[in-house]
Amino acid sequence: MSWMTTPLLASLEKYLDLNTFRVTLITSNLANIDTPGYRTRDLDFERELRRAEANMVPESLLPAVREVPGLLERPDGNNVSLERETMLLAQTQLQFNAGVELLRSKLRGLLNAINEGR
Amino acid sequence: MNLFGVLEISNSALVAQRQRAEVVTSNLANAETTRTLAGGPYRRQHVIFGARRVPAGSFGSILGATRDLHAQGVQVERVVTDTTPPLRRFDPGHPDADAEGYVSYPVINPIEEMVNLMGASRAYQLNVSAVRATKSMILQSLEILR
Repeated sequence: MSWMTTPLLASLEKYLDLNTFRVTLITSNLANIDTPGYRTRDLDFERELRRAEANMVPESLLPAVREVPGLLERPDGNNVSLERETMLLAQTQLQFNAGVELLRSKLRGLLNAINEGR
Repeated sequence: MNLFGVLEISNSALVAQRQRAEVVTSNLANAETTRTLAGGPYRRQHVIFGARRVPAGSFGSILGATRDLHAQGVQVERVVTDTTPPLRRFDPGHPDADAEGYVSYPVINPIEEMVNLMGASRAYQLNVSAVRATKSMILQSLEILR
């Protein structure tokens, strides 16, 4: 590990990656809100983040996606909940923004250290 | 697993919902049409949605390579024609009246079509706000470069 890639930067990258992946799932769910027989899919965010932090998953492997249990199913077999998905989308967006801000402040710190040494 | 691929998903939903709105409005427009190219009165049409992977070769999927396995967009799988027998109304003066004086009209319930149209319009708005959310995330991630 070089001086630039601190553990914090590496885990922030994983955090952003996982948030992006979750947005993919949420928008898929939203796109299929009127598709008969479509089931809501999501991932266990905390568990996947822990696994990614512990380097248990190889880079190439995707996080485990599962069908969300306990949602109200409509007569056409679709169980996408508008409220759940829009709330999750907002939450994921904010988490992503927070991650980016943390990453920026970390990089700014590094830049400061470089500039102050002159 | 990249944000441009996410835009691709929402885009597929926008296209599908617009097609649904087109079919519904043509049902409404033709509620009284007694002549069609195929002969007989207009028949009501439904769209059937199906989930599908985001097509390979699109901008987002090239950037995301194989990581977009879980990205599922939506498409109009089929447009089905309603097989309900046409409504027969007694109107002997009408040029399309049969020998008994009855005219065949399409079976179209305006309320049902309006509800369907509103559903399409709401789903369209929903996906537009999803696009907006994704866009702000892309812009935010560009901030890292500053």
